[in-house]
Amino acid sequence: MPTAHPVCRVSELTPGARKLIEIGGRSIGVFRLSDGRYFALRNRCPHRGAPLCEGRTMGLVTADKPYQLLRQREGEILRCPWHGWEFDVTTGRSVFMPEEVRVKSYPVDVQLSPETTVEKFNVTEAEGMVVLWTD
Amino acid sequence: MNPEKSASVSGAAAPRIRVVDADVHHNIRDKSDLYPYLTNVERARLEEYGMPRNSSLYQANGGWKGARADTFDAGEDVDPRSNFAMFQTKLLDACGIDLAILQVESTPSIVALADVDYSAALLRAINDWSLEHWVARDSRYRLALTIPMHDPAMAVKEIERLGGHPAVIAAYVVCGSPRLYGKREFDPVYAACVDHGLSLSLHFSNEGFGMNPPMTSAGFPSYYAETYLVRPQFYQAHLSSFLFEGTFEKFPKLKVIFCESGFGWVPSFRWRADMAWKELRSQTPWVKRLPSEYIEENVRFTTQPFEESEPPGAVDEIVGWMNGAKTLLYSSDFPHWDFDPPETIPARFGPQVRRQILAENALASYPKLAGLAGV
Repeated sequence: MPTAHPVCRVSELTPGARKLIEIGGRSIGVFRLSDGRYFALRNRCPHRGAPLCEGRTMGLVTADKPYQLLRQREGEILRCPWHGWEFDVTTGRSVFMPEEVRVKSYPVDVQLSPETTVEKFNVTEAEGMVVLWTD
Repeated sequence: MNPEKSASVSGAAAPRIRVVDADVHHNIRDKSDLYPYLTNVERARLEEYGMPRNSSLYQANGGWKGARADTFDAGEDVDPRSNFAMFQTKLLDACGIDLAILQVESTPSIVALADVDYSAALLRAINDWSLEHWVARDSRYRLALTIPMHDPAMAVKEIERLGGHPAVIAAYVVCGSPRLYGKREFDPVYAACVDHGLSLSLHFSNEGFGMNPPMTSAGFPSYYAETYLVRPQFYQAHLSSFLFEGTFEKFPKLKVIFCESGFGWVPSFRWRADMAWKELRSQTPWVKRLPSEYIEENVRFTTQPFEESEPPGAVDEIVGWMNGAKTLLYSSDFPHWDFDPPETIPARFGPQVRRQILAENALASYPKLAGLAGV
């Protein structure tokens, strides 16, 4: 049964920011990307147990051929603060072995609180609540 | 399928290849052996100054003058490496070698010469001489072509000149080099190798000689035993370069044979390379796969000198960790003193793995030998 966990007001999580929360003793990082999308990852690197969500975000660096460096999807790759393993914030999958190495990812959405939905004309997204879902 | 049966069905007359020796060192007997292959200018220089030598740094080797002491059949003053008949009896016949890959002894000292034109001329001569005086006289020989790797354009020329010869199955390169071999300036050499169906056979030598960097980055060892021990670092440096410069992405068909480097270090290198790649992937994103996968696909290791582990069975684990059943090629290093006969490959590996290490892996690692597989 999916359970909703309120994280914070939308206004408290600006684009590009993140917030660490704890649910049931588990540390989780909630990310709001610069384009407004929300994602959440467990704050524990599967490599050595580092606080993954305290790492820096960066772009995805790829190459079609040797010596080429292409950088795209800025801000969507999270690098573990310890050994630099890269994870896709949007999926929790590692960049280097997406099938084998992943971190738990949680769905996040924005819900408007009951009192604001009553008077629809006054509602703005900023007053909504960022909600994380667990199974 | 029964191999003998399949051979008879196909009508192939070739006998089954049971032992391939991937590292054998022949040599000229005298500088005059090369005169017929040189211009009069080059010949005059060789007559006057003799063959280049790079042995003065250590003035020592093992065995007797670096060779098995029981190979001086033609007398004390005749280099056993130059004794064609002795090779036939004491290596090919005595050890049941079906194919032996020749890597001429004099190559390193020639490659270390500063004058690339003279160096390339001597290498051309020694290749021509090897084909005429060794390969043409016994069908069991194949040649790893010496190339002047210090000048990639000239190396390509030599591959284009002789790479099409059916008995030329590899390009022979030594580890001592001013530049690591993954550097892109060497790419034309690898393209030429692939075009001509040659593998790249890499053998230690020349480290610290000529214009090359010191034998170790921490300085020069004093004794020959030390030089024996530090060899894996040369291979590790070149292998790191191949992997992270993307050589095997650019040349996925290229096989690189690491000769006489030992192999006990390979599993730990694979683990560390994979670790480094996972942590630093974004700096070399053209390296698409785990380094260990490229190593398993593109790199082979010759067995001599075989690891003497303690306890003896410990080496079996190492062979397993590096998938040696696929990546190891038997070599004798004849007639050098630290020679390994085929029996060095332990019977406890079982008949199938022994067959692979003694022959089948080699047939799969040199494109021009592929036709001999399975007969």
